[in-house]
Amino acid sequence: MKLCATSSVKAAPWLFLAPFLLIFGAFTAWPLARSLILACQQTFGPTNTVFVGLDNFRFLLTDPLFWTALQNTFVYALSSVTLQLPLALGLALLLNRPSLRGRTLYRLIFFSPSLVGLVFAGIIFSIIFEKRTGLVNVGLHRLFPVFDLDFPWLQNYVMPALILASLWMYVGFNMIYFLAALQNVPRELEEAAMIDGANAWHRFRHIILPEIKPVTSFVVLLSLIGSFQLFELPWALLSGPGPENRGLTIVMYLYQTGFLTNDLGYASAIGWVLAVILFTLALTQQWFNRKETRS
Amino acid sequence: MGIWIIGLIAIISTVLVFFLPRPQTQGKSFWTFAKPLYENYQPVVTRWNETRPPEERINMVHLQLQALERRLMSSFLSGTPGPDLVEVERATAGQAFRGGPQDIGLSDLTERIRKEGLLERINPPSLALWTRQGRIYGLPHDVHPVLLAYRADIVEAAGIDVSEIETWEDFSRIMAPLMADRDDQGRPKRYLLNLWETNTLAIEVLLLQAGGSLFNSDEQPTLDSDRNVHVVATLVSWIAGPARIAADAPEYTASGNSLKLQGFVIASVMPDWLGGFWKGDMPSLSGKLKLMPLPAWEKGGLRTSVAGGTMLGLPKAGRNPDLAWEFAIHLYFNPDVAVAFYGKTGIIPPIPEFWSLPAFNAPDPYFSGQPAGQLFIQQAPYVPARINSPYYNFSLACLTNAVGAVKQRALDENNFSSDFLSKTAAQELAKAQAHVRRQMERDLFVDKKE
Repeated sequence: MKLCATSSVKAAPWLFLAPFLLIFGAFTAWPLARSLILACQQTFGPTNTVFVGLDNFRFLLTDPLFWTALQNTFVYALSSVTLQLPLALGLALLLNRPSLRGRTLYRLIFFSPSLVGLVFAGIIFSIIFEKRTGLVNVGLHRLFPVFDLDFPWLQNYVMPALILASLWMYVGFNMIYFLAALQNVPRELEEAAMIDGANAWHRFRHIILPEIKPVTSFVVLLSLIGSFQLFELPWALLSGPGPENRGLTIVMYLYQTGFLTNDLGYASAIGWVLAVILFTLALTQQWFNRKETRS
Repeated sequence: MGIWIIGLIAIISTVLVFFLPRPQTQGKSFWTFAKPLYENYQPVVTRWNETRPPEERINMVHLQLQALERRLMSSFLSGTPGPDLVEVERATAGQAFRGGPQDIGLSDLTERIRKEGLLERINPPSLALWTRQGRIYGLPHDVHPVLLAYRADIVEAAGIDVSEIETWEDFSRIMAPLMADRDDQGRPKRYLLNLWETNTLAIEVLLLQAGGSLFNSDEQPTLDSDRNVHVVATLVSWIAGPARIAADAPEYTASGNSLKLQGFVIASVMPDWLGGFWKGDMPSLSGKLKLMPLPAWEKGGLRTSVAGGTMLGLPKAGRNPDLAWEFAIHLYFNPDVAVAFYGKTGIIPPIPEFWSLPAFNAPDPYFSGQPAGQLFIQQAPYVPARINSPYYNFSLACLTNAVGAVKQRALDENNFSSDFLSKTAAQELAKAQAHVRRQMERDLFVDKKE
């Protein structure tokens, strides 16, 4: 009787864990393992497969398209961190000022682009960036008549166009995270600093920034991951990878390989490289955070 | 308690889904990807179904092009349910042609076509795209010859006689006065040709017209051929630099159409199917356009080219292929269907015996009363034959990228001399060729020849 009770107690945690383990195994662990196997195969659809060992990874290292995609993705990710986030923080600081009238409306206005789907944004910006008739070129030409109406945004300046479109989409979205963080900065700290004669920059540098650091780290990581998963926006903006693959991203290349040429093996290899990059970025950021916390 | 109910429902529904019989559609399943095709076939299918028992009826399904390609390839590669008949366009057929004959999901129709004597009834170049290693896998739906559409109102008002134009050189010289008007930045208000470095359609059309190619008959890439180098260098001189004659007014976009309406570009390459789109998108151009054969690359050269293509195929997994074949012949060799389709889309059939029908000779008000059908038909026997490949689109993208790269290098170095353009084109096309070859060599499924 006692033995039975003991084994029930031992089995209880497993029983409770079973639903999670089953779902995790079926929808996460098994596909991950399967994709690792796939990455070592060349495939033509799901049934025609040939084991090629590490050939997919070897080919990847010398594949100019992969390097183009990687370079484009890195440039975009860098812009996310260096342009998007400072702008989002600036906006949040501005809209966090109690003296600003109508700030709720401004918050809504700046956040509203995030409510629009990426594909929709891509299509809208493909029209906005058109030569001769697009809003950007026509507007700039009216303001500065020397500006060329034929300025080829979507031909030669694909990455700036993409970055501008993503700024419109995400600055307001990231602003919300910063706003939430700013509202948690103890007001008494700022007031004490003001009494001590600290100017706005000093208060920002020594009080606000350290206080919102956890959120900043989170937003940086989120932006980096989002940037590395970029697909819909350039796909809709350029109707594909764009001229000379200037808008090709890693995920777009993965999609093209897996679903347009049906080589799921090579696509899996690309996916694993992307996973390794993201994992490395996350670890690096954590390492920096810990280092700074210790110091 | 709740968890047990949810669990029970999950188990019951799983069992039900597993054991419930899959609904079987009656008759033959026929997939097509274009709405005009679907609408045009509807009366034929209805009449067919009225006279046939349920198991011989046609169940026609209209799928979006990419959805059709994905579902068809899934059926070929993994045995998911597929159609008994299917209409596919060039790129999808290219994908299906990956691998050896045993791997191709479409039935080899060569013997059927020979037995029925259809080989003599079909415009020969129209079969090339659907032929692989001498075997034919589809009935061609169209020819898609290409002419040049130009703004007759503007050209004629300037006193230009297009009958004097035989070559592209003539075209640039004779039409040049139309580029004399300048805007406030000193640029021409009009350009002679609708062409730019990412206009894949026009680049392919002009390359094929010039005798260039993407693949040879052994399905090996030929991107770096001397002819292609010449074409790319010439096209770049048209789209940039001091001899520029071309600008972009893209298809299917409001801005592109608006520029065409303004007469920003005088002429556009015009496959027969594009005319149908123009009529729908820009009705106000009616009576302002005329068609002429493409100017040749050299005197006596080809005055047409080809763009796109659709075929009807019978998947190997289809049921009752004899019946599917009977319907295919009924549909494609039906003059009423061909005439109705021409009326809706401007697309001419690949069957020469239909070409003398009055509908194809009727004046077309959109093209200023010219018999557009007849003009396309006159060029139909001469359209260049293409070699299809799973890497056709990839090669085309590499070719377009090469054109862009040559243009960029010419702009960067401000050098548009023919020597520089030819040298740069040769370098860029060699890179493109190496890229395509490398991808093909890696592919273990593509080169299985018997």
